[in-house]
Amino acid sequence: MKFVPYVLKSLFRKRTRSVLTILSIVLPFFVICVLGTLLATLDADPSGGKGMFRLVVRHKVSLANFIPEAYRERIAQLPGVEEVTILNWFGGTYKDNRPENMFARFGCEPEKLVKIFDEVTIVAGTAAEWASDRKGALVGERLMKRYGWKIGDSFVLKGDIFPIDLELTVRAVFRGSDETGVYFDRKAVEEAVPWAKGQVGTFWIKAASAEAVQSLPRQIDALFENSSFPTKTETEKEFQNGFVSMLGNVKAVVTGISTAIALVILLISANTMAMAARERVTEIAVLRTLGFGKSLILTLILAESLLLSATGAFVGLGLFRLSFPALKEGLLSSPMAGFAAGMQLFPEVLVTGIGVTLLVGLVAGIVPAIRSARRSIPDGLRQVG
Amino acid sequence: MAEPLIKIENVVKQYTRDTQVLTVLDGLSLTVEKGDFVALMGPSGSGKTTLLNLIAGIDRPTRGRILVGDAEVSAMGEGALAKWRSEHVGFIFQLYNLVPVLTAFENVELPLLLTRLSKKDRRRQVETALGVVGLSDRMDHYPRQLSGGQEQRVAIARAIATDPALLVADEPTGDLDAKSGEEILVLLERLHAEFGKTIVMVTHDPKAAARAHRLVHLDKGVLKEDVRAKGEKGEIGVAAAAAIAAGK
Ligand SMILES: Nc1ncnc2c1ncn2[C@@H]1O[C@H](COP(=O)(O)OP(=O)(O)OP(=O)(O)O)[C@@H](O)[C@H]1O
Ligand SMILES: [Mg+2]
Repeated sequence: MKFVPYVLKSLFRKRTRSVLTILSIVLPFFVICVLGTLLATLDADPSGGKGMFRLVVRHKVSLANFIPEAYRERIAQLPGVEEVTILNWFGGTYKDNRPENMFARFGCEPEKLVKIFDEVTIVAGTAAEWASDRKGALVGERLMKRYGWKIGDSFVLKGDIFPIDLELTVRAVFRGSDETGVYFDRKAVEEAVPWAKGQVGTFWIKAASAEAVQSLPRQIDALFENSSFPTKTETEKEFQNGFVSMLGNVKAVVTGISTAIALVILLISANTMAMAARERVTEIAVLRTLGFGKSLILTLILAESLLLSATGAFVGLGLFRLSFPALKEGLLSSPMAGFAAGMQLFPEVLVTGIGVTLLVGLVAGIVPAIRSARRSIPDGLRQVG
Repeated sequence: MAEPLIKIENVVKQYTRDTQVLTVLDGLSLTVEKGDFVALMGPSGSGKTTLLNLIAGIDRPTRGRILVGDAEVSAMGEGALAKWRSEHVGFIFQLYNLVPVLTAFENVELPLLLTRLSKKDRRRQVETALGVVGLSDRMDHYPRQLSGGQEQRVAIARAIATDPALLVADEPTGDLDAKSGEEILVLLERLHAEFGKTIVMVTHDPKAAARAHRLVHLDKGVLKEDVRAKGEKGEIGVAAAAAIAAGK
């Protein structure tokens, strides 16, 4: 403890250099936190645990293939199935193809949807009003804000997969999960497009228990294995991660970038510590002459290096905390909004970030520290510096 | 006859580079009595610094024995030597070698940090040491805010902070102007006379050597001359020192 002033004053021996070094740790640390949080967000469960009991059934080949509505009854008969509903991807265009006009649009079964996604709350209008209007829309709160819509406003979705233009009226607003989505009665499509009748994109199942979640996928897929429309059944989580892997191997890329950044911090701090130690060869020899032992010298230099990286990490942490709300807001309004609800200050990400940074500080300090402690005292004293 | 503090017996110091062996000290023997003030002279490269380092226990001889007080420093391990130095030897360097980021007070406190003294006791000892060198009013100054002479006085305060019996000084006035150098020498004399320190001082300057009570002349790693003062005050005197320095 009594050596603290020496370590602190040594650290700021070259003030500009120390500040620059700390900054060069702060920024990469910040980026690592952002990337790590994005990765963790992809893994997180935006439904707050409710999604654990949901399963998704789709055509084995791809999401672009339909399966027959008649499957519903056979699925519903399986033990452990509490509820089955249909969600059909509508696609289409709102106004134009600019990214800010992209959002998810689904044909659904209104009464059943709210039962299966029971973590979602209606914050304006009512589920009943929505369900009773064939052209009614349930719209995410965030999308309402984006377009300045109010209950009763209408908008047009130009169809592409389904050759119709849907004019929908906002009847209810929801909060929770992907708040940029629009949901409407699938019958609106079926009634206008004859071939769409009885065609299902995905069945969403609410399972009764964790055991059912385990066993149902195999049971369901076995039912339809030899039919003309074989299925693939997954948990909600697996289904969503399927989209992530469609984005390419995001995780590997992000992990790679983070590792590279950590290495950059390592090189920068190692260089600073090496420079600091080199400038201080004589001083260290003098300290040892006074009776400072090798291990004490080693400790002092490592403490300095650790302090440098710790300062960087904590400043970076503060910066990240401050900018976190803006980051989340940005993600929630992006096409990745489906995942953003699960975004939070993941402790494991922050702990890993700080851990890596401190480790880097330790590794960066250790070589110059050992070298300084090893050098013979007369050699160190002879060096004029 | 006073009892000996330093006993150097047949000390050889060699440096080996590749296959070449450089013998810096060649079978040197020397005894220094407790409370003596010894000047070590000799041409550049004659091994003065090397000898001083051996006495002070920051280097070890290739062969031979060195005893300081009860300690056989030539046989001690590194850790034990470090502890021994912190208690028994004070160092004064030509270039002062203060830690630039620490104040005068903190510099003098450095060796005390290795003791078990309380903060209060450390403060008392630092203040005493800075008082002895006459810099009580400069405690919070950084080295760059001090003159060379003042820096060297802080360095001397650091050397006496733990109250060691032996002080070694390697050209303590070598980097100072005549007036500051004179002040340092007066201070060393006081430490010797008033506080009973044994002092071994390397110097090129006959005027500095003249203050000592014994003058040892090294040349090419062997003892060439060893003069003991006979004057009233026990000093070598300028004339004798100059003659020896000239290698007469
Ligand atoms: N680590 C080393 N490796 C090789 N040679 C060394 C080493 N240290 C000292 N020497 C040599 O030992 C000899 C004596 O050096 P030393 O520093 O003791 O001389 P000195 O008498 O103090 O000289 P000066 O008056 O110039 O300070 C010199 O020739 C020097 O080059
Ligand atoms: Mg020398």
